[in-house]
Amino acid sequence: MKQFVIIGNSAAGIAAAEAIRKADKQSAITIISDEDYPAYCRCLISYYLAGQVLVDKILYRPENFYKENNITLLLNKKVERVDPKKNRLVCVDKAQIPFDALLVATGSSPKFPEVKGIKKENVFGLRTIKNATEIAERLPMTKTACVLGGGLVGLKAAYALSKRNIDTKVIVKSKQVLSQMLDFAAAGFVQRRLVEHGVELVLGQDAVEIIGEGEIKAVKLDSGKAIGCELVVVGKGVKPNIELVKDTGIKINEGIIANNLLQTSIPNIYTAGDVCESFDITVQAPSINALWPVAVEQGRAAGVNIAGGNIIYDGSLGMNALEFFGLAVVSLGMYKVPDKDPSYEELVLDNPKEETYKKIVLKNNVIVGVILVKKISNSGVFLSLMRKKADVSVFKNSLLDDNFGYPAIKDLMPDKERIYV
Amino acid sequence: MKQLLYEVKKCLGCRSCEVACALAHSLSGDLYKALDEEKLSMPRKKVLACGGKNYPVSCRHCEDALCVDACMAGALVFDKQKGQVLHDAERCVGCWMCVMVCPYGAIRPDIKDKMPLRCDKCKDKDEPACVKACPTRAVIEQEKAEVKK
Ligand SMILES: Cc1cc2nc3c(=O)[nH]c(=O)nc-3n(C[C@H](O)[C@H](O)[C@H](O)COP(=O)(O)OP(=O)(O)OC[C@H]3O[C@@H](n4cnc5c(N)ncnc54)[C@H](O)[C@@H]3O)c2cc1C
Repeated sequence: MKQFVIIGNSAAGIAAAEAIRKADKQSAITIISDEDYPAYCRCLISYYLAGQVLVDKILYRPENFYKENNITLLLNKKVERVDPKKNRLVCVDKAQIPFDALLVATGSSPKFPEVKGIKKENVFGLRTIKNATEIAERLPMTKTACVLGGGLVGLKAAYALSKRNIDTKVIVKSKQVLSQMLDFAAAGFVQRRLVEHGVELVLGQDAVEIIGEGEIKAVKLDSGKAIGCELVVVGKGVKPNIELVKDTGIKINEGIIANNLLQTSIPNIYTAGDVCESFDITVQAPSINALWPVAVEQGRAAGVNIAGGNIIYDGSLGMNALEFFGLAVVSLGMYKVPDKDPSYEELVLDNPKEETYKKIVLKNNVIVGVILVKKISNSGVFLSLMRKKADVSVFKNSLLDDNFGYPAIKDLMPDKERIYV
Repeated sequence: MKQLLYEVKKCLGCRSCEVACALAHSLSGDLYKALDEEKLSMPRKKVLACGGKNYPVSCRHCEDALCVDACMAGALVFDKQKGQVLHDAERCVGCWMCVMVCPYGAIRPDIKDKMPLRCDKCKDKDEPACVKACPTRAVIEQEKAEVKK
């Protein structure tokens, strides 16, 4: 009987625990979290803040999950350091936890910009259910709020605040929202929707100071202008939680470096999820794709391998779906051609009247990126072409058609087709 | 465990299956009344033409379903006994992650209601509506084991 320990009780940690249990009914599994909540749907905390999801619907697994799978759950326990030489963990409360194999799935935390006043009360990140609850508790005393950052989390925060009737302004350094996942044209559709629904966007300007003694009064911009508000939410991206493995011999770069078995540089220590730096299959370089489905996929593969299996993980790709006030958008892989590189090709269908936009980025007839606005049904078909690096020259001209779909690509798929006989 | 198969040679692309599917998922179940319903029922199935043939596309209820992994709301599970991916509408927030990853493009986003629509094998009925409706018997319901031989 072995002792498997998982740090992180979220997408990656739970997927790993389930995979280990599937293969190994005997060994002990311990999951550690520094939060005080059983696993919950982290991506739903903005919906919870908006009042659209109740707290009992945010749990990711049924209440009896840990018991049923014979998993020891340690909540409110922060691991301070991993000690690979002695195969044990040292916790902040001085407890020591031994392991035979370890998964580090500690996720990431909000990045706070170095802006004067950023440490003030009522400046929040939005990462945990605790954050969401704390923000919600301030709302009765809040009329106006500023969100710093026009990325996914920033916009979701703004959406939630405006649903709660808070007058919300989003301050975005770049000239468009979602610059990490959409091109200028596609971002325009999202921006129009947000503005139509009362979310104000301040584009091309950055916050330089949060003003106020005690209570927040305003956010000062680099233009010199100040925007009055009583609450600030920071959505300026995330950084992987790697402190606990620093100077332990486990190799790190931006995140913890993983090989294609999701092992770190120490063979009995694995990593998965937002903290894991694996390989990006469209960019063809080491990278972190801090996304829920990626965390699940990596967690599962790591779990299988910890239990003695042998899953080769060939990497992830950036992908996201979003929905704002009834507008659906999907972004996959390289959503714009890198610096006008002539070896890339773009297919674009832009129909502002119908509010639809489709763009496909190709390199040597292989799809490397996709953006879809409104008509998103085919996104998974494109995604599987991207994963398989399939040559699409035969149907390149019909890729943007509404009638394009799985039947056109079925012969390229490696699995034998069993449904169409 | 049953599975839907399509005998492509027989499919005329008449879309009777689409109509039957929409009807089966309407409130009234009656063609004329269904057309008057406040929210028009939509088919979970779509027939796509390709290379001179017609292919009905709908959820295959994959066992290692990518949509289940991608669901960030914990609203999808693969039910082993039923051999079916089950969708919990109450938990679903309409984030479109499932639509984004389905390799068959078989999940239809109902943008208005923020609900992904997919084949539910006509849950409690003895036979799926599309099987019944197909005039050429191109839609077949079969035990999964039989398929593998
Ligand atoms: C508001 C919001 C919206 C999002 N929307 C999307 C979306 O639309 N699509 C998408 O793909 N992704 C989205 N994400 C990102 C997604 O939530 C993450 O990619 C995912 O949660 C990563 O899972 P993980 O298991 O790697 O880590 P996390 O979910 O970050 O969990 C980390 C776990 O590690 C524990 N932990 C960390 N450090 C320690 C320590 N020292 N000791 C003990 N325990 C520790 C924590 O308690 C936690 O249990 C969103 C995130 C947020 C916050």
